Amino acid sequence: MRLPLLQGGLVVVGLLGGACWLAKRPSAGEVVFEPRSQILEPAPLCPWRQPEADLHRFFPGATRWQSEIRVLSGQLLELRRRLGRDPQPEELALQVHRVFRNSEELGAVLVRCVHGEYGAIEIVLAIDPQGTVVGLELQRQREPAAIAAALTSPDWLGAFRGLRATDFTAAAPSLPAVPAQARSSADAIADGVRSLLILHQTAQAGATDGAPIHQQR
Amino acid sequence: MNLVVFACRNLARRPWRTALAFVGLAAAIGTLAVLSALTAGYERELRKELDRSGVQLMLVPLGCPYDAAARVLKGRVLDASLPAEALAQVRRDPAVAAAAPLLLCAQVRTNEDRADLWVGIDESAPALKPWWRVQRGKAWFSSTNGVILGSEVATLEMRAPGDRLYCPGADATFTVDGVLDRSGTSDDSLFFVPLGRAQQLFGQPGRLTAIAIRLRDPALLAEAARRLQAIPGAQVVTTTEVMGVFQNLIGTVRALLSAVAIVAVTVGCLTVLNTLLAAVLERAAELALLRALGASRSQVVLALAVEALLLTSAAALAGLLGAAFGGAWIQDAVRQWIPLAPERLATPLSLPLIGQSILLGVGTGLVAVLYPAVCALRMAPAEATRTA
Repeated sequence: MRLPLLQGGLVVVGLLGGACWLAKRPSAGEVVFEPRSQILEPAPLCPWRQPEADLHRFFPGATRWQSEIRVLSGQLLELRRRLGRDPQPEELALQVHRVFRNSEELGAVLVRCVHGEYGAIEIVLAIDPQGTVVGLELQRQREPAAIAAALTSPDWLGAFRGLRATDFTAAAPSLPAVPAQARSSADAIADGVRSLLILHQTAQAGATDGAPIHQQR
Repeated sequence: MNLVVFACRNLARRPWRTALAFVGLAAAIGTLAVLSALTAGYERELRKELDRSGVQLMLVPLGCPYDAAARVLKGRVLDASLPAEALAQVRRDPAVAAAAPLLLCAQVRTNEDRADLWVGIDESAPALKPWWRVQRGKAWFSSTNGVILGSEVATLEMRAPGDRLYCPGADATFTVDGVLDRSGTSDDSLFFVPLGRAQQLFGQPGRLTAIAIRLRDPALLAEAARRLQAIPGAQVVTTTEVMGVFQNLIGTVRALLSAVAIVAVTVGCLTVLNTLLAAVLERAAELALLRALGASRSQVVLALAVEALLLTSAAALAGLLGAAFGGAWIQDAVRQWIPLAPERLATPLSLPLIGQSILLGVGTGLVAVLYPAVCALRMAPAEATRTA
């Protein structure tokens, strides 16, 4: 009597074990390990594509320019407060292209890649030594013609002239209206300009801490 | 007393000699089995590596392939392209395992000194791109307006699945379906779109820029290239150098391992031959007495054969067991001699390999016992007894 009972018990235990194993086994399409945090996808390093033309446009009379990288990781809390969000990894190393007429500093050029609606948009922002916008240019974008026309119009780009970082802190400055389909990319550009101005001002404030880590040209 | 007991007792009379012969033959059989398995494993892994490289042949329109590449890169429409019928012909070829049509089109971005390379593909493309891994999103297009981006392009354009992407040259908007993992190939900087959509957008209906081909067996390369070359308006570009290196590698490794195996087996066989020869000659008088007592020649030969069979078959089995359990150690030792050894070399001992090893051991024993047996039987009983 005991032997069939034992065999039956073994079969039941085996079946239960098999069922547990099948239940726990991941199916073919299932992701076995899903990281809890999202992968940080930093924006690509943005090159300054046409420095000569941009210098001529924004700083007529400039004789040279010099690139520096300002490390801002020491001002993380300040940046978080002013940006209203956590800085992106690429924002902690700001590349500043300082522009000179002989030894006189005329200003700086900052370049940044922002998320446009139809592709990346690269903005070139020229500022004077006090951090006021001298001019704004889109050096690369792939928006449809109607949106591109609105975003590259002298009226819209010119509206940034004279703005400073502080103009963005309380409320967004009034910019000319753009067509509804261009709104998303226009907001991305405005946010990019705001971030650059804040980053630059923070870098300037912390400049007494030490020299830039890298200089070229 | 039966023959097996008789043979066992004879083997036990000289235990050290029997043991040494046993170990020698077992080592030879084991080495042969391990090296044969290694050669098979090496070939298999190397073929897998080659398969992972994807394309072995490209069918392109007649003309200078470099000129065609330059034109594509400059964003010009190719004067020559392949008709869609060429694809059907390629797929009908018995040597072709997979054929993927491609339509390449470049959209020049003058401000950026670069061109967006758009590639039209169909469902067969992933089979020829084993390195394709989707980092984010879907592995295939969800609609004709879907686009799959190489990792560099996705980073450059800051695109993620679900984002829109505009193609200025064709005035078309796509939705990003997937982003590929970085592969280190040119795919990282390409925009992939459905073939039909690409043909329509870039004004090449029914035309192809190239057909990428993978063969069922890389050894069929020359034969397949000859047939495909006959397709009107097409020429074959092969990866000849790669294939040459591949075949040379296999040949070198096969020769190296075979040489080691042959030396091992020869030494093992000679050891058995020597042992059995000594054992039989030593017992010449005894065998003569057996003959004098009425044993026939065949009975004496059979007794010797059983003795040899027992020794060699046991040695063969021991050698195979050694190969099965010690194969990994030998593989590690041998790996350093092998050029471009893949990560995994070992292959399980197959049934044909086991049969071949046992046959070799047993055959060696039979051949080894034949000569001494004949020598012993030629001796007259009286002479043999006197000599002893």
